[in-house]
Amino acid sequence: MSRLRALLGLGLLVAGSRVPRIKSQTIACRSGPTWWGPQRLNSGGRWDSEVMASTVVKYLSQEEAQAVDQELFNEYQFSVDQLMELAGLSCATAIAKAYPPTSMSRSPPTVLVICGPGNNGGDGLVCARHLKLFGYEPTIYYPKRPNKPLFTALVTQCQKMDIPFLGEMPAEPMTIDELYELVVDAIFGFSFKGDVREPFHSILSVLKGLTVPIASIDIPSGAGIQKVGWGRLGPYPPDSCPHQV
Amino acid sequence: MSSAAGPDPSEAPEERHFLSTAEAAALERELLEDYRFGRQQLVELCGHASAVAVTKRTVLVVCGPEQNGAVGLVCARHLRVFEYEPTIFYPTRSLDLLHRDLTTQCEKMDIPFLSYLPTEVQLINEAYGLVVDAVLGPGVEPGEVGGPCTRALATLKLLSIPLVSLDIPSGWDAETGSDSEDGLRPDVLVSLAAPKRCAGRFSGRHHFVAGRFVPDDVRRKFALRLPGYTGTDCVAAL
Repeated sequence: MSRLRALLGLGLLVAGSRVPRIKSQTIACRSGPTWWGPQRLNSGGRWDSEVMASTVVKYLSQEEAQAVDQELFNEYQFSVDQLMELAGLSCATAIAKAYPPTSMSRSPPTVLVICGPGNNGGDGLVCARHLKLFGYEPTIYYPKRPNKPLFTALVTQCQKMDIPFLGEMPAEPMTIDELYELVVDAIFGFSFKGDVREPFHSILSVLKGLTVPIASIDIPSGAGIQKVGWGRLGPYPPDSCPHQV
Repeated sequence: MSSAAGPDPSEAPEERHFLSTAEAAALERELLEDYRFGRQQLVELCGHASAVAVTKRTVLVVCGPEQNGAVGLVCARHLRVFEYEPTIFYPTRSLDLLHRDLTTQCEKMDIPFLSYLPTEVQLINEAYGLVVDAVLGPGVEPGEVGGPCTRALATLKLLSIPLVSLDIPSGWDAETGSDSEDGLRPDVLVSLAAPKRCAGRFSGRHHFVAGRFVPDDVRRKFALRLPGYTGTDCVAAL
């Protein structure tokens, strides 16, 4: 820092906006029960203070998550394209760390990526593309596609990379278990509200019967992020890949 | 690619690894037009990968006004995210929206922008651990970038701290690498997408290619033979 101060002394620095740098996620944890996974639920859903002391991570409410997004778009002038690319790449990286290709049975390991109708689906498309580059064999199911250039471009990128798009969702969990070693849930994100409409209601029912692991992007689809005690989507705790740069 | 075997002696080196300027432009066009990548996506992927090649804490990123400079701005932001201490010198600012937004992102993340680069190179050697050269990409004439960038490049030629050049060492002819004797002598070269012909004359310590995002079919189409990427790495060492 003394070297920078030397330059400052020469009057060379132009101040950027003085946003304090946050070294790690610091703020106090959300009170109330959590929805993480089996081991937390087995502890009665109570706030485990020992766990909290070792992991100082804040979990965002839906409003807070939307506020973070708005700040990134409005104050930082990030584009949806940028954030989606970073989010999808981060998710693929997280999945590759949690389920390395060498730990999977098939070579290349087969992955089913289910993409919803909004931005979470877009994250899934980016994720699928990077999974292919990381040596997985992804297949995408993308039943409801927004008619926007961003999404059509992402679909083109996947198609050009020979990532198949299923015409219909396998009706039986066992079919999915036999064909794929991992399912990526990119159906609904943090802005999801209200009832789950078809075809996603049926899709979520099928996913509930799976034995292969599910990795959820941002939140397990269909789980209200304010609520507790959602039905588990799969036998393993979901990986969450937050929309953070 | 076998990393154990050396280069095939029957194959000319420039056909094995490198792209001409025209081929590099064609590859980019293919990604933009056929694969419908957006320019923002590609610049983001290149800038993120470039940041991975930096290993010193205090970094000066010198950005030109064209795409190379945009990649530099993205690189600086990811350096900040990686908890390095980047500073940017970006004297000739592009007016296009992509550059403006990338600049805003850096400013909002509290990355300082120098208003002036000292001509006394010793000040730079003392203030920073490393400099990133994001001034000129292939196909951009040195004369196009204006006085301050040209003067900055003259100063950087005398640098004694490590220099990391993005895509090509600024000022080198992208085809022939001429001026590679008199020009910048980077310690590290990060080729974006694929190495350019002039990289054959690179004599620094590390040459990385940041091209994980290039689809296999495109690589095959341009007959590129490059080392494989391991794990989730976005750069590979050549």
